[in-house]
Amino acid sequence: MSEFLRILENEVQIAALVFLALVYAGRLIWIFRFKTRKDRTFAAGSEGAGAGYSLMNIAMPGAMESTRKRPGFYVQFIIFHAGVAAAIAGTFIIPYAPGVFEVRGIVLLFQAVIAAALVVGLLRLVRRLTNPVLREISSPDDYFSLVLLIVWFAAGALAVPNRPEKGEWPLILYFGLTAFFLVYVPFSKICHYLYYPFSRFYLGRSLGHRGAIPPSSTGKRTTARTAKERA
Amino acid sequence: MKRRKAGPSGVVEAPLDVRTQALAKEEERPSVKDGRLKTYEPGDNAARFLDLLGRRVSRSLAVSLTACVHCGLCAESCHYFLARPDDPTMTPVWKADQVRKIFKRHIDWTGRIAPWWVKAGTVRNDEDLNRLKNIVFGTCSACRRCTYNCPMGVDTGLLVRFTRGLLTELGIVPEGVFNVSRDQWETGNQMAVTEQDYLETLEWMRDELRTELGTDAVDIPVDKKGCDVLYTINPREIKFDPRSIAHAAKIFHVAGESWTLPKWGWDQTNFGLFSGDDKLGAFVARNVYEAAERLRVKRIVISECGHGYRSTRWEGYTWAGYDQKLPTESVVVTLKRYLETGRISVDPSRNAEAVTFHDSCNIARSGDLVEEPREVLRRVCADFREMFPNRRENFCCTGGGGLLSMAEYRPLRLEVAKIKADQLRATGAKLVCTMCHNCIDGLADVIKHYKLPMRVVQVLELVSNALVVPAKSEK
Repeated sequence: MSEFLRILENEVQIAALVFLALVYAGRLIWIFRFKTRKDRTFAAGSEGAGAGYSLMNIAMPGAMESTRKRPGFYVQFIIFHAGVAAAIAGTFIIPYAPGVFEVRGIVLLFQAVIAAALVVGLLRLVRRLTNPVLREISSPDDYFSLVLLIVWFAAGALAVPNRPEKGEWPLILYFGLTAFFLVYVPFSKICHYLYYPFSRFYLGRSLGHRGAIPPSSTGKRTTARTAKERA
Repeated sequence: MKRRKAGPSGVVEAPLDVRTQALAKEEERPSVKDGRLKTYEPGDNAARFLDLLGRRVSRSLAVSLTACVHCGLCAESCHYFLARPDDPTMTPVWKADQVRKIFKRHIDWTGRIAPWWVKAGTVRNDEDLNRLKNIVFGTCSACRRCTYNCPMGVDTGLLVRFTRGLLTELGIVPEGVFNVSRDQWETGNQMAVTEQDYLETLEWMRDELRTELGTDAVDIPVDKKGCDVLYTINPREIKFDPRSIAHAAKIFHVAGESWTLPKWGWDQTNFGLFSGDDKLGAFVARNVYEAAERLRVKRIVISECGHGYRSTRWEGYTWAGYDQKLPTESVVVTLKRYLETGRISVDPSRNAEAVTFHDSCNIARSGDLVEEPREVLRRVCADFREMFPNRRENFCCTGGGGLLSMAEYRPLRLEVAKIKADQLRATGAKLVCTMCHNCIDGLADVIKHYKLPMRVVQVLELVSNALVVPAKSEK
């Protein structure tokens, strides 16, 4: 392994991570500077249960009509984010636990997950470019972030075998992009995962207080399943 | 199908009409004179808008403004977009982006440094603000259906109300919003019902009820101290539907309820919810809470009204900075209790026609009541059937968010009501029941426009029809 790659895998990543952490800390301070309002009403439900239900929404495709009617979209979401998790894990495994990628089965698993995410990324890009609604609302950041992830997935799929002796460029591309990501993410839409707990928590707490969520245990169905029901 | 080019819908270009505002200033109307009701003044409104935006954003709003990932999943939850599937400007995300881009440009990080990169933008003049007005007042009923369908938990309904509030502060509002706000500020009710009209209508209903039941024991008490229940109503009941008060009075009489209406603070509706004006919201809600304190009642009961219920039960206490002290409930919950405890008996065969139920957005999605009205309807109707989707996934009556008072947006409202019309038609019901006066008018418009063979009723009417009046309650 060249000295350049060693520094890129270690010192550069750590520096980029520190930068990310600092900017995230700033982001959190920024969010907490906005005031909240005290709810002065008697509760009809549970704020905690509402917040918990709202936060777990990510794992409940049936909870929202938008995902219930589009199961394929939810599957894409899972694959895409599993690919992100695998690609992030790879950036830690390669420098700090390289032995893991000596097991061929693990390498193949990582490559499969990341490659599947790459395919989903391409599908998402096509959707964003061809759907008039998405085209109208998309910003350069939306496109750039998606393309960046697609390229990163490609680099990750090639890099996880971790064979610098067979050529360092996949690893250089992978770690170079990772470092860029860590610096760019806090300023892009990709940092939505930082906001997710907040947006979900506040919405869930408010609706939970009112008893609007979680749905009642009576489990009443809201959508007609058969033509007879619709009629 | 021919694709419509992305661009503003017709309503977005509707001009700002300030004739009523000018008249109110000329007449030195008290709400305008003392500054409670803001009027439009040409000038540096863009700067004032940005100043208000910076000062008023709360944490939950800030995260809703930053968390959107532009996935577009909200689009198909919106009846505006479902009715106009080729028009991106009808999507909740596009509408929310119109204020989101201003937030990004002036408050968020990346948008301040590289606005073009995240499509951040600003408002430059009154034309921009008028355009924003048409978007948030004219193309959204703030029903929050998209809120429930956003994977990120972005509350677009809340963003729309917030933006409406900023524009209301500048007098950049539809004429109808100004008029109703003025009436509610000045008379304490949004239909400018005078005290004389109010009291005379109650007396009229009392006399009708005495004739119907054949007894003078039945009463519609006003300002009676120490009762169990303070009953608050919608001014529409006084103006257009006084029978609903008689229905409630009849049921209260049979149930042996100790109740009263207040002479002041009887309007449980609240236009502050629609205009985004928290100060108006606080004023109206406080009227009700103070009436309850003054009359030393044990419970506030809200007649059937969606936004009235949301305002009085939930938002009003926060707007008014008033800690809730008394149970505050919808009359439908009261009816359910009467039925469960045997205080009233009903004969469902008296409501033989097929009935479906329309959930009010403000009660189901922004409140807590979905099963209660159904439990009542199943007891009082012979043929109750659901519409689909229902409960928190129901579609807006299309008259929500104060849209019924904004004539300039009526053509679009009725166009997108096709979704509601299809939903109603599919039930095959002859009656659509709702626990909201706003929905009555919204649904009646839909039924008339789309020529549906049905009519709108309320829970109180059906319970009153089915009510078995014991002999001792009659003469």
